[in-house]
Amino acid sequence: MSQQTLSQPVVSPRSAPKKGRSLFAGDVVLGWLLVAPALIVVLGMVGYPFLEAIRISFTDRMIGRGPGRWVGLANYEYILGWPDFSEMVVRTVAFAIIAVILKTVVGLILATALNQSFRGRNFLRGVFMLPWILPTYIIVLVWRWIFDGQTGLLNQILVSWGVLGENYPFLARPGSAVAILIFVLVWKGYPFYALTFLAGMQTISSELYDAAKVDGAGRLGRFLYVTLPGLRQVMGVVILLSTIWTMNSLEIPLLLTGGGPSSATEVFPLLTYHLAMQNFRLGEGAALPIMMLPLIALLVVAVASYMDKEATQ
Amino acid sequence: MTILDRIPESLFRLFSIVVITVLLLMIIFPLYFMATTAFKFEGEIYSELTWIPRDPTLSNFRDAIFSFDIPTYLRNTLIVAFSTTLIVVTISMLAAYALTRLRFPGRALMARGVLFVYLIPGSLLLIPMYLTIVRLGLKDTYPGLIVANLSFSVPFCTWLMMGYLRSISVEIEEASLIDGCTRLRSLWHIVIPLSVPGLITAAIFIFNGVWNEYIFALIIAQDTAHRMISVGLSNFYRSDYYMMGPMMAGALIAMTPVVVLYILAQRYVVSGLAAGAVKG
Repeated sequence: MSQQTLSQPVVSPRSAPKKGRSLFAGDVVLGWLLVAPALIVVLGMVGYPFLEAIRISFTDRMIGRGPGRWVGLANYEYILGWPDFSEMVVRTVAFAIIAVILKTVVGLILATALNQSFRGRNFLRGVFMLPWILPTYIIVLVWRWIFDGQTGLLNQILVSWGVLGENYPFLARPGSAVAILIFVLVWKGYPFYALTFLAGMQTISSELYDAAKVDGAGRLGRFLYVTLPGLRQVMGVVILLSTIWTMNSLEIPLLLTGGGPSSATEVFPLLTYHLAMQNFRLGEGAALPIMMLPLIALLVVAVASYMDKEATQ
Repeated sequence: MTILDRIPESLFRLFSIVVITVLLLMIIFPLYFMATTAFKFEGEIYSELTWIPRDPTLSNFRDAIFSFDIPTYLRNTLIVAFSTTLIVVTISMLAAYALTRLRFPGRALMARGVLFVYLIPGSLLLIPMYLTIVRLGLKDTYPGLIVANLSFSVPFCTWLMMGYLRSISVEIEEASLIDGCTRLRSLWHIVIPLSVPGLITAAIFIFNGVWNEYIFALIIAQDTAHRMISVGLSNFYRSDYYMMGPMMAGALIAMTPVVVLYILAQRYVVSGLAAGAVKG
């Protein structure tokens, strides 16, 4: 790639654009040409699979058994007929909301603490990014080992300190398994919140803080009346997007708890995976996420209207 | 005004220090034990808690490298991550340029659609994508892994580059166009050189994303010859018996490239975060 800088004019002045032609005359063909590769990828690897998923959801297709027969709404009826279907939906949504609230709170606190000048701040910011850059599967495997019921580190520590008389199977009890899943979601996610909020805080003019100080606002007052309103847009987008991503998250529950014990942590992406890749029931596996789409669409519409509102302000 | 407003400044600083210390310990705790366990003998790992390896050993690394095919997995991951990054950054840069600079029908719709593609649940696409890859004969191949990874990387990278292109001035570009430069020449000689920092940021995120990816790797490449490092390492745990030592050694090896890349390019990662276009 040629290394051009601003001081080196790269364009030799040539003929002016032809008369009567706008600067954008050739844009239509070129625009579509340049977008074409990306469009093909998105249509081929997202659009087509999306439609395919809808079609498969109306069949009884199974892995290794050909295309399957058309069964109409049978898969949807089957899923709705589960006694614990509504429980699974509530669980998925509740985990996402709790995790997002915790990530927001911890993220805000950390961002506020880091938003002061002190020595080593950049280094600290780097360390706090580790959970977010490190591979999720490694993070999850390490935490899973720490919480393991037999040889886990936490048990070793608690037993050696005398807190526990004997090993406690943290991941085999519904209550603690749920808490651990949410803990790992938060642990992995809050640094991103903190660093985004921190970036947002640094765009807030210091004059606003000075004015608030003159008006007699203390730390908390400045946080409530200057920082939070200043962060509104960043927080809105991060929270909405992250709610969707947390709800869709498959890797962490799959590797951490596998849905157990007795489906206490079975969220919808995981159930989809189990239906399709373990039971080979592709029709039902395709129907389940489609049934969750209205919920996600609602959040997506919220993101869109929020961004539009903020953009016009 | 509340009583809280009268909290003295020194108390706030103390609070900050406590918060940072507690969160820091929570981050370091698992990473510290991962690192030290990699240097412990099996007996020590399961029998008792030691903060420092009693008898440091490299045998876990030897096992990870020679008995568990880690080098093969690393090679596979490197090939897939490099190819994906190259393809994604090229495709996305072109699309982002068109969507931010050119005027053509359909542009507004696509520019808006880019983000929303990225919000579609991955689990919805899992089944049809798997079937498509199988039908194309790409199961257990590098192209299969690359194609699957393109799906979400292209919209993400396009969105990131659109944000970057909107932030750089269009004046030089417009001047060049008025001087008779074609769009493509202007793209190649002006826009792309100006976008290098954005392209580096995007490349880091894509590479990191593919390197750390697990789900596609799990369903698409099940044979040893094409297995990705994420699946290879997780298989340690999925088997019945534990091999924490070699697994933690493998984890250290697997995360080294990511950490080195991150240290070298922290500036770009932070600027990408400021652009607010990152999954978290």
